[in-house]
Amino acid sequence: MTPYLTIALTSLVAYLVAVRRLGMRPSDLPRAVAGVADSLGTGVIFTLVNLAAAGALVLGLRALTGRFFTLYSLDDVVWLVVSLLQGWVWRLWRDAPRPRAPVS
Amino acid sequence: MIVRPLGVAALALFFFGAFTPLPTLLYARLAVPTRIGPADAIVVLAGGGVLGDGQLSDTSRRRTALGIELYRDGRAPLLVLSGALGAGAESAARAVLARTCGVADAAMLAVAAGHTTHEEVATLAALLRARGVRRVLLVTDGSHMRRAARLFEAARFEVLPAPVRGLDDPPQPGERILLFHETLREGLALLYYEVAGYF
Repeated sequence: MTPYLTIALTSLVAYLVAVRRLGMRPSDLPRAVAGVADSLGTGVIFTLVNLAAAGALVLGLRALTGRFFTLYSLDDVVWLVVSLLQGWVWRLWRDAPRPRAPVS
Repeated sequence: MIVRPLGVAALALFFFGAFTPLPTLLYARLAVPTRIGPADAIVVLAGGGVLGDGQLSDTSRRRTALGIELYRDGRAPLLVLSGALGAGAESAARAVLARTCGVADAAMLAVAAGHTTHEEVATLAALLRARGVRRVLLVTDGSHMRRAARLFEAARFEVLPAPVRGLDDPPQPGERILLFHETLREGLALLYYEVAGYF
């Protein structure tokens, strides 16, 4: 458990530095955590969509070509990480400030 | 909005998976207890194929080693070494290992049996039936055993499960996540086989 105690300790140090040195507000922290949950949730949606699409593609290729394509190709941690990154980028893009429409 | 609850649920699942015995409990529900006894054949299912240098993968080697051990303990007169189609020559590489360990060619059946567990069991069932085999000592990974055993039972064989020990009580969070992942993957595969009507 030592690495996890280290993470708890560095989190505490980061919190103190943020509040005392960088002037960040503790009241903003829940919003940041909610942002992480939003990004992760979006990543989960991308993961599920990717899983369904890739599974359908594998089964479709099997049916169309008569050749064997393995479903185990979906069992890859990098593929999961990339799906979560997709969700993260999508979320940041969606939450980015948009320019106001010109008033006519 | 569904996104935030989904994110919270994913985080919760991650922490429960890494820091609680949840993966072990789920795995215990999936696993089939070991039941070693006399059988007509020891059937070692394919697993991982061979590596680029022609050596058996770790999974395949562990399964083969257990099959050889059971054969040398006199549990059955026939050792069936299966291998995936198109994954190099897994069954042949297994036969070489078995021969090195003193298993006679006459007591061994090495066969490339299919791409999936379903295809593999269908091929093996026909071969085993032709040899009058009714009771099999089945060797595969613990997480894979339930699906494989159900397929053999559906083909009217009596199955004695001899699972290869895996990550059954992981001490580290990373290993717990691996076990969680393995359990979820196999759970999905079971569901797929159920829906496809393979059992």
